[in-house]
Amino acid sequence: MEFTALFLSVVAVLAVSWWGSRRLALALFTIALIGSAATYFHHATDVLKLSF
Amino acid sequence: MTRSLGVTLNALGLYAIALVLAGAFAAQLLLDELPCPLCLLQRCLFALLATGPFLNVRYGPRPGHYALALLTACAGAAVAARQILLHIAPGDPGYGSAVLGYHFYTWAFIGFAAAIVLTAIVLLFEGQFQGDGVARPVGFFMRGAVWLIIVLTALNVISAFVECGSSACPDNPTTYELLRPSS
Repeated sequence: MEFTALFLSVVAVLAVSWWGSRRLALALFTIALIGSAATYFHHATDVLKLSF
Repeated sequence: MTRSLGVTLNALGLYAIALVLAGAFAAQLLLDELPCPLCLLQRCLFALLATGPFLNVRYGPRPGHYALALLTACAGAAVAARQILLHIAPGDPGYGSAVLGYHFYTWAFIGFAAAIVLTAIVLLFEGQFQGDGVARPVGFFMRGAVWLIIVLTALNVISAFVECGSSACPDNPTTYELLRPSS
């Protein structure tokens, strides 16, 4: 579900970048990037099996 | 570099991003391999990478627009690097199929790294920033790139919804949640 929302937010960013105002596009971009980071930290829970 | 050349290079970048998104989709459908959460996140960041070029094509090149692309490419490279490290241990077969010897997340890392380097190189040419920053009409070539990216991202909305349904995406998806026969 989180990825559906994330992709939807990217579609909104792209649509506003092209048809809407630049300021709103920058605001939506910030929200989408923060959402991506949050999703990353939600899923990055596996321990890295590194040997060093 | 003139504004016109800068805009054309950005449109070419959009076609490159569209190629990546289409390739990932083709692999998903033809190889019947479901993208994992980190794979979906990398796709999402490839789509978000198009924001900078979108704004450059519409309003003319600005350093701030390139900064958006750099931020997104750095985030994408970080996600791809983590997935590479998850499968770096000896004996680990990796996630999904390999194409030309590399898994998709390795190609994604190369793609994001290339985006960082190419964006930095294009930023060196300050002649493109002399424009007035006003939106101008764009041709079919550039509109085609924009529509391609928007349609491919919208298709990913549908694909992610069919794959994950209304719950959190599983770490190792084996079937589309919405196509799973009800028991």
